[in-house]
Parts: sequence; C-alpha cells; structure tokens
Amino acid sequence: MKLRATLVGAGGLGGPIALALGAAGIELVIADDDIVELSNLQRQIQFTSADLGQPKAARLAELVESRGGLARPVAARWTEATADELGDDAAIVIDASDDPATKFAVADWAVASGRCYVIAAALRYGGNVMAGAPGAACYRCLFEAPVEAPSCADAGVLGPVVGAIGGVAAAVALGLVHGDRALAGALLVFDDLRRASDPRIVRFVPRKGCPACARAPISPSMASSLATPVRVAENR
Amino acid sequence: MPSIRVPSALRNFTGGASDIEVAATTVRDALAELERRHPGISAKVLDNGAVKPFIRIFVGPDDIGGLSGLETQLAERDEVAIVPAIAGGAGGAGGAGLNDA
Repeated sequence: MKLRATLVGAGGLGGPIALALGAAGIELVIADDDIVELSNLQRQIQFTSADLGQPKAARLAELVESRGGLARPVAARWTEATADELGDDAAIVIDASDDPATKFAVADWAVASGRCYVIAAALRYGGNVMAGAPGAACYRCLFEAPVEAPSCADAGVLGPVVGAIGGVAAAVALGLVHGDRALAGALLVFDDLRRASDPRIVRFVPRKGCPACARAPISPSMASSLATPVRVAENR
Repeated sequence: MPSIRVPSALRNFTGGASDIEVAATTVRDALAELERRHPGISAKVLDNGAVKPFIRIFVGPDDIGGLSGLETQLAERDEVAIVPAIAGGAGGAGGAGLNDA
C-alpha cells in the first residue's frame, strides 16, 4: 500500500518537496490556489515561462507524474474548512506555504489528528525545518501564534535557498513516514546557506498550556517515547 | 566568553555581525549586553522583559524554556541562539515581525 502525503504549497519549497517525495513513491495531494507568475521563476525552478498563468498545483502534479509519481492537485488553500478533505488519509502533512497562519493551521490539524508533519520556511539566505510527530512538542509550542510577516518584496529569498530547504524538508518527511522519530520535536535552523550548510538542530520543550497539544490524542506529557525527559516550562 | 548568535533578520543592528561575544553569566545579562552595544535590538526579542512569543532562545541545543528561562546560567563557551519564526516558502517569504527595523 502506498504512503500518502499532503503537500501544502506548490512554490519554491513545494517544488523540490513534491518531486523528491513523488520519486520516492509517496502518493501526493498538492494543495495550492495560486497561478504561476513571472516573478516566481527565480526561485520556483520547477516552472518555466511556458507555465505562466497555469495553476501551480496542477502543473506541479503533472511534473510529478511525468517522472512516474502519483499526485492529485487541489486548487485550494489549507484552512480549517478544507483541512479534513485535504489531509484525509495522509500519513504526513508538509507545509511549504508562505503564510504564517497556514503553518499553524497545518500543525494544529496534524497534532489534533495524530499525524506527522513538517513545517518548512525559507527567508533571505536561510530557513527552518520543523519535524512534528504525535507525542512531541508541537509547532505552537515553538512559536505560540502567527504574527504579521513582511512580503517577499520586503525580505526576499535567495533562489537556491528554497531548493536546499525543500530538499531537507523532503528528507525529514521521508524519515517520519517511515517511522524515524529521531528529529520529532526538533527544529533544523539553517542560518546562512551561503556560508554553511550544516543546520543547528535545536530541541524545544512543550509549552505549558499549549492549546494545540491539549487537543492531541497523545499529548507530550503522555508520551513515553521521547528520547529526553519532557520538561514543561515557558520560554521566559 | 559566551556568544550570541544573531539571526540574519537582526544583523542590521549589529553591522552584519552574526556572532557577538558578551561578558555575561545569564541569558538575560547577555541580551542586556547585546542591547548596550547594539541599541534597539532587544526590543525585537523581548517584550516587557519576556521573550516574544514568535522567538525562541536556545543555549547550545537546549531551549531555555526547559532550563531557567532568561535566568539560565551561561558557561564560558556557551552559544546563545536567537531563533525567530519565519514563514517564507511559496509565493513569497516573510520573517515574523523582525524585518520592520
């Protein structure tokens, strides 16, 4: 039986993630309601000028299938209303969106439904990849709540950075779906890929009173499979 | 001497420097020393003396939330890392509230 994954975002991060997971035999649902624009091509290198105006999810799914993979595109954003349909029977959900609220929505849903998840993000010259699994501290334990983020025009991102971060996110996702929990509840921080490619791997503790963990079928305080003792405290 | 790893989004305060050595024995003291040398930076990390919710601080690989918070003691070669939430990936890229300096 094929493993299934839902990928949220078909852009700079989503492209390499989809191609890597599709080639690894993971059946994908790719959710994105955007279309390919000229300004995307610098970092979303899965697309070409021939794709301009095309739906990103559909075009990326075609690329996955052209390489022998299986992918179903959905022209939708991940929201509370669409989460159950998009997540469905996915073994893992991978966030490759550029929206803070979406990242929290993906993580919260995955925690509440007992799924593994990966949250990937890139900015300027670096990025973060968080691996989530039932029983581990969650994304909301890490960053509490979404905040306003500047646009790409404000911050920017180096084209190759999203490819590198996307590749790491795909590798972490493959590990999680195959039962490797070594990075569950850890954040991989790539500070500046122009200078160093080794990530700082940091582990964070469950946040006291985390509303997402309160809805989890296996809360961090119940988990016995964590490698280190659970310490509940606030980051203050 | 302990050092602070400054995230790229805050390096406009430090003249581009990524690692700042500080004479400090706690994380709170280290941030205060950072502020003395690079005024304005601590307002991006702290709010009323507490770490902002979209930022985590680590000493080595360990979250200070699992240690003693801002009162976590620092050893001679400890590295304090400031890690902000970031949210770029698909259509755009964003660093959570840090780039408005």
